[in-house]
Amino acid sequence: MKIGFSAAQEQFRNEVATWLAEQLSGPYADLRGVSSHTAMVERRRVWEAELGRARLSSVGWPVEWGGRGASLAEQVIFAEEYARAKAPSRLNHLGVELLAPTLLSYGTEAQKTRFLEPIVMGKEIWCQGYSEPNAGSDLANVATRARLESGPNGDEWVIDGQKIWTSLAAFADWIFVLCRTEEGSRGNRGLSYLLVPMHQAGVTVRPIREMTGHAEFNETFFTGARTAAANIVGAPGEGWKVAMATLAFERGVSTLAQQMDFTNEFEALVKAAQANGQATDPLIRQRIAEASIGLSVMRYSALRMLTNAESGALSHEAFTYRLYWGVWRKKLGELAMDVLGPSGEYAHGDSPLAHDLQHMFLFSRSDTIYGGTSQIQRNQIAERALGLPKEPRGN
Amino acid sequence: MDFTFTEEQQMMAGAFRELTDDLCAPAALRAAFEGRGESSAARWQRLTELGLPGMLAPESVGGMGLTLADFILIAEAAGRAALPETLVEHAGIAVPVLSALSADARGAAVLQAAVSGEARVAVSHPFNPFIVGADQATHVLVLTDHEVHLLSKDEAKLEGHQSIDALRSLARCTGSLQPGTCIARGAGASAATALAFECGALLTAAECAGLCDALVALAVSYAAERSQFGKKIGAYQAIKHQLANVQVKLEFARPVLYAAATQATVLSGRSRFGVSHAKLAATDAADLAGRTAVQVHGAMGYSWEVDVHFYLKRALGLTGMWGDRSFHMRRVQQQLFSEHLAIGPDALFGVFKELP
Ligand SMILES: Cc1cc2nc3c(=O)[nH]c(=O)nc-3n(C[C@H](O)[C@H](O)[C@H](O)COP(=O)(O)OP(=O)(O)OC[C@H]3O[C@@H](n4cnc5c(N)ncnc54)[C@H](O)[C@@H]3O)c2cc1C
Repeated sequence: MKIGFSAAQEQFRNEVATWLAEQLSGPYADLRGVSSHTAMVERRRVWEAELGRARLSSVGWPVEWGGRGASLAEQVIFAEEYARAKAPSRLNHLGVELLAPTLLSYGTEAQKTRFLEPIVMGKEIWCQGYSEPNAGSDLANVATRARLESGPNGDEWVIDGQKIWTSLAAFADWIFVLCRTEEGSRGNRGLSYLLVPMHQAGVTVRPIREMTGHAEFNETFFTGARTAAANIVGAPGEGWKVAMATLAFERGVSTLAQQMDFTNEFEALVKAAQANGQATDPLIRQRIAEASIGLSVMRYSALRMLTNAESGALSHEAFTYRLYWGVWRKKLGELAMDVLGPSGEYAHGDSPLAHDLQHMFLFSRSDTIYGGTSQIQRNQIAERALGLPKEPRGN
Repeated sequence: MDFTFTEEQQMMAGAFRELTDDLCAPAALRAAFEGRGESSAARWQRLTELGLPGMLAPESVGGMGLTLADFILIAEAAGRAALPETLVEHAGIAVPVLSALSADARGAAVLQAAVSGEARVAVSHPFNPFIVGADQATHVLVLTDHEVHLLSKDEAKLEGHQSIDALRSLARCTGSLQPGTCIARGAGASAATALAFECGALLTAAECAGLCDALVALAVSYAAERSQFGKKIGAYQAIKHQLANVQVKLEFARPVLYAAATQATVLSGRSRFGVSHAKLAATDAADLAGRTAVQVHGAMGYSWEVDVHFYLKRALGLTGMWGDRSFHMRRVQQQLFSEHLAIGPDALFGVFKELP
């Protein structure tokens, strides 16, 4: 066990910090601090390309695919510096953090060649097509179907069905879709993992408004949508395995970046409390201290989890960690509103800082829902880590 | 000691609930929010028909001469309905305060109109950074520790703000206070301001209890409807237990609230203790209810389409108003450690028994 960084790692930190500072005070100054997922989309595409050119889009990827083959420690350093520099939220986080690692593990050479470079260079933005109206926690219940057809463009998958809660579908270029390719199959058998272009007549997107008032997620309808027969990850019928691998990436290294965002939010909250005097209130101080302890707990747990998982497969700790941060951030949101006091009721807050904290409160209501609800996480911990009998199900 | 409500109290609340079931049906609320549907004046008219605005005014001015304990179920029902109109502020705060200050001729005249519902009075209080519902009011009652002013809406020079709660409007009074609008000074004014605070804190607590009730009802009905893994999600203990926990919080908040209602206007250490306890218990219950209702609904609960967020945001606003959590917790602590408060077993129900 060793905590801390080597001289070479600190040198890498310097390089990253200097590069980010230059970019974000120079050509990309307008993007500093942009944390919304839907704001300044075009500018953030350009930023993605800039990161790609500097080989900083995903430092952990192999060099041949545009990364730096960085060690875990270096990935931690990158995440820390990225957040410290208040660099904008990653427009293509679903592509960079979910799809790309999935392709690196399960994709064919042709798929890696076709899809990774546009992800690194921000040319193709991805969204995730898992959930359906009747397949939320019970993801294996997906009903969207695809069948192979030959046509003028060769063999193609033809897709029919509906996805829901598709984040960023409004401007994504591609979607990875979990769908049923074996007629009459049920549960997690007979599913496939397809890569489907969004810009076609067979795909329509309808935004869904959230309680924040924004519409980041959408309904995505497939009516005879098409994609080339080769755009399947894993074998037909093996979609479940691939989809679960993607979910594991969602709980992997990408959590580091997210944790650094939490640190920024925590800092903003403390600043707000100092500015309006709430920081002198013993109850608020105690909760701030608890939140800070939670941050370190998460940091150490994440690092331990990731060092244990260098092999790629995530341990059971990943579930524990997912559960912990969701609950932690929700509490941080509640604390933020108590810090703001009654003026927290102003729509959009009464200052930019208050606006951010209020948004964080609202958004954090969903932190124990997306990517697997807290109830499902607890079931997983109990069943997979502790080996308790499975919940009885109706299907 | 008796925690039952009288038949009249229950009938009144029942009639009001029926009215709000109609006025605040989900479609009506959405229409109100989008500026469609029945006009606000017409809605207010229907609320006044039950005589609610004058419930707490003396009979001599046409009121019903009732007390906060009679009004508490009305406030709870208003919360449960997420009523957009500020009936609670008008009838539960402004009217009793104006009744206490009716020696002033201007105050008396407006009180008369407020009892019939012709005048609608919004309340500005040093504890709240803004006034709620001022855009629909005819008057603003401005309470400070030294003076109480009664302003016409024009005199108040309101500056409106949007609330996170789409069904509530916020405003700040930017007009300067002139001697001509003053209706009380000195001790009378500070007593009125203190009275308004206790009424405000108590009744927002009641509204929070109502919101909690509404959120539980929404979540329970969704849990009974939504299936995952081939079963109604309400069949899973993880869902059941969460909802049961909220219900426990609510049921433990209610008696505290009702007890505080019988004492709130006494303005003693005991009564303040009771009001603060009620506000803490009810806002905690509403807070847990909001969190739980979103969770039970999954992503639906996070969307605008489902009503959960209306209630959640109302609860958020009410939690901060009339003293936030820290304030009320501090007040409980101060009372507990003050030499006047007996804390032994014989004092358990001391809320009802004033010490000399
Ligand atoms: C902000 C946000 C962004 C999202 N983005 C995407 C996206 O980009 N792509 C995508 O595919 N999906 C996305 N989702 C959907 C997300 O993955 C689902 O919301 C989640 O899987 C839960 O499904 P559900 O909403 O249908 O809730 P349900 O599964 O209907 O759950 C409702 C409630 O029942 C509980 N429950 C269900 N089953 C059980 C059980 N067996 N035991 C105990 N309790 C149970 C749940 O915990 C929850 O409390 C997003 C969701 C949100 C909120």
